[in-house]
Amino acid sequence: MKDLTVMMLSWEFPPRVIGGISPHVYFLSKYLAKQGVKVYVVTCDFPDTPSHEVINDVEVYRIDSYKNPAPDFASWVYLMNLNMQKETAAIARRIGGKIDLFHAHDWLVADAGIGLKHVFRKPLLVTMHSTEMGRRDGLHTTAEKMIHETEAWLTYEAWRVICCSDYMISHVKWAFGLPNDKLFMIPNGVNTESYDAVTCDFDAFRSKYALPQEKIVLFVGRLVYEKGIHVLINAVPKVLDKVNAKFIIVGSGYMKEQLLNIVRSMGLEHKVFFEGFVDEATLLKLQKCADVSVVPSLFEPFGIVALEAMAAKSPVVVSDTGGLSEIVEHDVTGVKVYPNNPDSLAWGISKVLSDENYRKRIRENAYRLIQEKYDWEKIAQQTGKLYESVLGEYSKSFWA
Amino acid sequence: MRILIFSWEYPPRVVGKLSEYVKALATQLVSNNVDVNVITYDDIATGLTKDSTGVNVTRVSNPVRTHIGVLTWVLTLNQEVERAAANTYYSANKQIDLIDAYDWHFIPAAVTLKNGLGIPYVYSVESLEDHRTPGPNTPYNMAIKSIEWLGFYEASGINVKSEWMRDEIVRIYKVPKEKITVIPADSPTWLTDIVKFYSEIDGGQVTK
Repeated sequence: MKDLTVMMLSWEFPPRVIGGISPHVYFLSKYLAKQGVKVYVVTCDFPDTPSHEVINDVEVYRIDSYKNPAPDFASWVYLMNLNMQKETAAIARRIGGKIDLFHAHDWLVADAGIGLKHVFRKPLLVTMHSTEMGRRDGLHTTAEKMIHETEAWLTYEAWRVICCSDYMISHVKWAFGLPNDKLFMIPNGVNTESYDAVTCDFDAFRSKYALPQEKIVLFVGRLVYEKGIHVLINAVPKVLDKVNAKFIIVGSGYMKEQLLNIVRSMGLEHKVFFEGFVDEATLLKLQKCADVSVVPSLFEPFGIVALEAMAAKSPVVVSDTGGLSEIVEHDVTGVKVYPNNPDSLAWGISKVLSDENYRKRIRENAYRLIQEKYDWEKIAQQTGKLYESVLGEYSKSFWA
Repeated sequence: MRILIFSWEYPPRVVGKLSEYVKALATQLVSNNVDVNVITYDDIATGLTKDSTGVNVTRVSNPVRTHIGVLTWVLTLNQEVERAAANTYYSANKQIDLIDAYDWHFIPAAVTLKNGLGIPYVYSVESLEDHRTPGPNTPYNMAIKSIEWLGFYEASGINVKSEWMRDEIVRIYKVPKEKITVIPADSPTWLTDIVKFYSEIDGGQVTK
């Protein structure tokens, strides 16, 4: 993979972490660089973070993403793309146009990716991490339709569309009417090393969150409809009927107030903790301490949070949907429950919490699975091979 | 001399006075041996056309049909302008001397092409957001103003039709007066002044 230069465009990169794209781009870049690929990442700025630095041999550029005032989120995205595109064009020119391909992540960098493709006449690859249709369960507003059409345009302009699960491949194929040979499945990865490296006094750490007799049920994710957090909240009293537990909710989102009100009205504030965003170190420890990690999503293109829990050796209960269905084998590597069904979810959580042998078995199986299948080294190799095959096709085109 | 002209209106699409002006300019430039390539918007007549005027006109449409407003519509359309501009650039052996961008609409494309391909651009101002939408600033027109500002900031030259407009740009955007060239459209030396203005643009570091 020598002499191959890729320019990654992503609206988030650590320490800016909004969703799953940030860690994805971080690890993908790191392991591509390890194979000898020259990787540039252009991303949005973050307070007290340099506008240019080299991390794991990856050149990271952070652009001023709030340069233009914006009336709403979608307009902000397009204005940010204006600046990202301009800065990336300048970087590309500075390095003598020595770029082999552009790799964009989601519609959030669609304009920049498409524009740069044409200006430099290099192939554009896109990873579709999610879709507007999936996030919103349909297209209801003008803004949602606009975003959907932007996604369609991006996949149209892309040489190849990468998705992280077979489920997403079929979803994207249907949503944008794409041919099979344009789609390519490469799973998302998880980094076991960072979990194995965590050391602390777990009893002391645990005691900050729960009493010794309480089991810890952990949810990590944005507090939005598609993540099914409301299903978990509705399952809380049903679980407490059977097991003594503490529910820890990590993440934030527009549903937070509404969820807090439900918890209050059930009189369960002492059993459900809304932690908001926590730093990386705390999150790793929480995942290691969790007696069960719950992923109750209604729509989940991949389900990285389930893999993270598996890497932390925490047993998982997931809803049987999307990418989660592919990751988890019921009764072997985790428990699958019916999506959007609090009774089923409560059953799954209680089953894991009340049987220690069962818990141990699924944990060990899950850990073995992620080492075999979801290793970043292997994923980066697959991505590198895809780059090479795209460049082979490109070399025969009139742009070359 | 080979130039690209960016304008969001060009006949048969007529929104305001800009359309006829740009057409007259393009036609006159051609008769003065300038290779003129107009890139404009049209929803129906898309693609490259070369009519009896000798002007190469590429009309692009927006691949994203649904929009929440003019701002998102303009911003997405810019990628198609870049595509058309890049096609002209590569088929002309990368020899484009200048881009003349009319109003704020295609400033994003001009700025990317400048930074990516080293083509200098001039910003020709027909009107300003401050005059089109007077009154208190909303985030929406502040966004448009920020694009106008970027246009002035990155431009290698600015062209206006009146001293009044020049002074307004100096007042609102704090642009140095000497960066702005006034060429009235009714001046007898209008065309020669424009050609002179184009040829005196020094791309400087942009083209290196």
